[in-house]
Amino acid sequence: MSAPDAATLRVDRLTVRYGGRTALADVSLSARSGELVALTGPNGSGKSTLLRAVMGLIAPQGGSVRVEGANVPELELIERARRVAWAPQEEPVGENVSILEYVRFGRHPHLAPFANEGPADHAAVERALRRVDFWEERSRGVAELSGGERQRVRLARVLAQETPLLLLDEPTAFLDIGHQLDALERVHTIARQERRCAVVALHDLNLAARFADRIVVLSHGRCVASGTPKEVLSPELLADVWGIVADLRWDPVTGLPYLLPVLPMDRPPLAGTVGPRPMARVHVIAGGGSGSELIPRLAREGFEVSVGAVHLFDSDAELGERLGVAMATEMPFTAISPPVAHHLETLLEACDAVVVAPVPTGSGNLANWSILAGWAGRRPIALLPMPREPAWDFTGGAATRLREELLRLGGEEVGGVDDVVRWLRARLPDAATRSSRPSG
Amino acid sequence: MNAPPGAPVPREEAVSPRRWGPLPLRVLVPAIVVGLFALLVGSTALGSVPIPAGTTISIFFYQLTGGFVPSAACPGSVASHQCAIWTEIVWQARVPSLVLALAAGAALAISGGSLQGIFRNPLADPFLLGLSSGAALGAAAIFVLDVDPAHQATLLPLAAFLGGIVPGAVIYLAATLSRRGPTVLILSGVALSTFFSAILSAMLLYNPSSDVSLNFWLLGSLGATSWSDDGLVVGVTLVLGTVLYLRAREINLLQLGPEVAQSLGVRPQRTIQWTVLLTTAITATAVAFTGIIGFVGLIAPHLVRRLAGVDYRIVLPLGALMGGIVLLVAWDVAVAAIPPIVIPVGIPTAFIGAPFLIYLLYRRRAPGGSAIDT
Repeated sequence: MSAPDAATLRVDRLTVRYGGRTALADVSLSARSGELVALTGPNGSGKSTLLRAVMGLIAPQGGSVRVEGANVPELELIERARRVAWAPQEEPVGENVSILEYVRFGRHPHLAPFANEGPADHAAVERALRRVDFWEERSRGVAELSGGERQRVRLARVLAQETPLLLLDEPTAFLDIGHQLDALERVHTIARQERRCAVVALHDLNLAARFADRIVVLSHGRCVASGTPKEVLSPELLADVWGIVADLRWDPVTGLPYLLPVLPMDRPPLAGTVGPRPMARVHVIAGGGSGSELIPRLAREGFEVSVGAVHLFDSDAELGERLGVAMATEMPFTAISPPVAHHLETLLEACDAVVVAPVPTGSGNLANWSILAGWAGRRPIALLPMPREPAWDFTGGAATRLREELLRLGGEEVGGVDDVVRWLRARLPDAATRSSRPSG
Repeated sequence: MNAPPGAPVPREEAVSPRRWGPLPLRVLVPAIVVGLFALLVGSTALGSVPIPAGTTISIFFYQLTGGFVPSAACPGSVASHQCAIWTEIVWQARVPSLVLALAAGAALAISGGSLQGIFRNPLADPFLLGLSSGAALGAAAIFVLDVDPAHQATLLPLAAFLGGIVPGAVIYLAATLSRRGPTVLILSGVALSTFFSAILSAMLLYNPSSDVSLNFWLLGSLGATSWSDDGLVVGVTLVLGTVLYLRAREINLLQLGPEVAQSLGVRPQRTIQWTVLLTTAITATAVAFTGIIGFVGLIAPHLVRRLAGVDYRIVLPLGALMGGIVLLVAWDVAVAAIPPIVIPVGIPTAFIGAPFLIYLLYRRRAPGGSAIDT
């Protein structure tokens, strides 16, 4: 053994290529005993490849993998298996062996050639099975287990191997939320109590944030971030690596970050969904919650939405914020000011059509109507019907008059949100190519 | 309910790895051994020359114990020259065939069980994979080439082995290079088998030494054997079977897929290569003296899995005994079906084996790891 090394696992500038493709490029990371390190990243970012390379199942083109100081590629297979245990995401069901026999397979690296299991092996198997609460059911056949039970039994097999390093590839795949929490809680506890080092590939960031001591983020085979969940998770990283807009919040109880993904906004609609392509831009005049159904629906249908003018802290303003749409916003309890009015004009200029929600109108937002009246004939305008009750016009009839004028000047009243989508599709055919933008 | 980790394991618990399976081994093993021996003894009574069953059995035990009491071989009512003829028939003709049935059955079952294990394919069998026909072709070449009879006995198994190497290599490559699932592997084997059988039939038509019937190799026979042939088959099967048995733990791990097996310290390719080589040798030795006998290697391991579970440390040795029983029963049927004619033993095995194969093909639900690794 080389010089003492505090880290159980030390990966240094690891590079793996498949054919011409670089699966891992210069990845470095280390993990200590007692620690749960979550390896995360989008699909195809190299999580599984990294675990396989650490296990020695893939020969790297460069770099080194050391476990407790020993260089893994140079170790005999059996020596590797005494240091590193690996559980793949999926395993062939194989023969219907009993749970006991299955977990006993984990003892192979500790058995002399051609020997059978001895008392120490039986004890290790029992310990492992008790850790996952399966000792009482050890004579059941593995083929009869549910997905969650199979994950737990696989964990027991890996534990029975009694290695300082555990590599678990998506141990929560195919599990419901309760079993996901259960599985990671167990791994976390085991790592801590038995002073093992667990490196777990996880694509669920909330689980990673909750259970991991440290998170390592891979993207396109590169390590792009590493540190505690607090250090690593940021809106910028989520946008860069996963291409998502997310609300990142703090759990007041655990003090850990958790995130709420928001629908991806600047992506073209999924192939096969009919929608104007590239996206047509639709401006929505809303406020007071009148856009709560309309705005997300238009975003989902693949339109690029802008909103305004709305007041800050208005529920439609918060909705627009969450969705990350362009918005003209005014300070609360003030009438729309000239700069905001100008902003609204630029949004109207940029859009292909306007939809007016049944927005309750007072002096604060009356300017929306008057500005829009100037755009009648220049942009197609759809108006959702106003409710008879409750009253919506708090301007002494000024808003009602402006609305009627809009209808006279070519604005069309459209029955509901579904009709709005149909109306937009009819007016904004696929040929609307003016707002082309790079696709994500 | 959980004991703290590291608590001493109660002795009884530690030793109680009750195998998952319908029958515990302490019942199953004696039952199989006793059944096998009873079948062996009883089968001495069957043959084209009618000899009373009691007499054949007493001759058998008399010979088995070394024959210290000559008069005890036959009952007093039997004339001594008659007894000598019967003894000759029982001990030099019938019993060698029965022992060959045991040895060849064991050889085919060990081969079939091991192949099923390494390929994770419940349909693997030396006959279905073409190993048997390849070996038969090799052995038949010795006759066709008119080799000096003095060398035939030694060359026969070698030639069979060489003949078996070709399909062995093909199925090895087919199984490791393409991951197309169990049925494709078997169909490749069947294609090979058909191909070799066609060549064998062609040889049969042009056979210069017309006295040796190559029909023998096409459907299998245990009739023309001797104690020395038996010795060879028993010896090779025992030695190579033991070597395979020592790899049973690795075959167990292969059930988890090659990568998991490797993560546990097994070289999957090496285990598969060794197993294909050894099963080829074991199959070839049996085939050299029995010809092509199908399905025994398919049926016997499945029966054992049904009775005793799926640990290959159990499947291989118990499968060997079970293979002996299956082939012994088939031979009894072959002898007793249309007396005094002895039909080729491959006929009764096919009568049991073909429906069994179809059953396995249709029982697609949770087949032991079969359709998984496609």
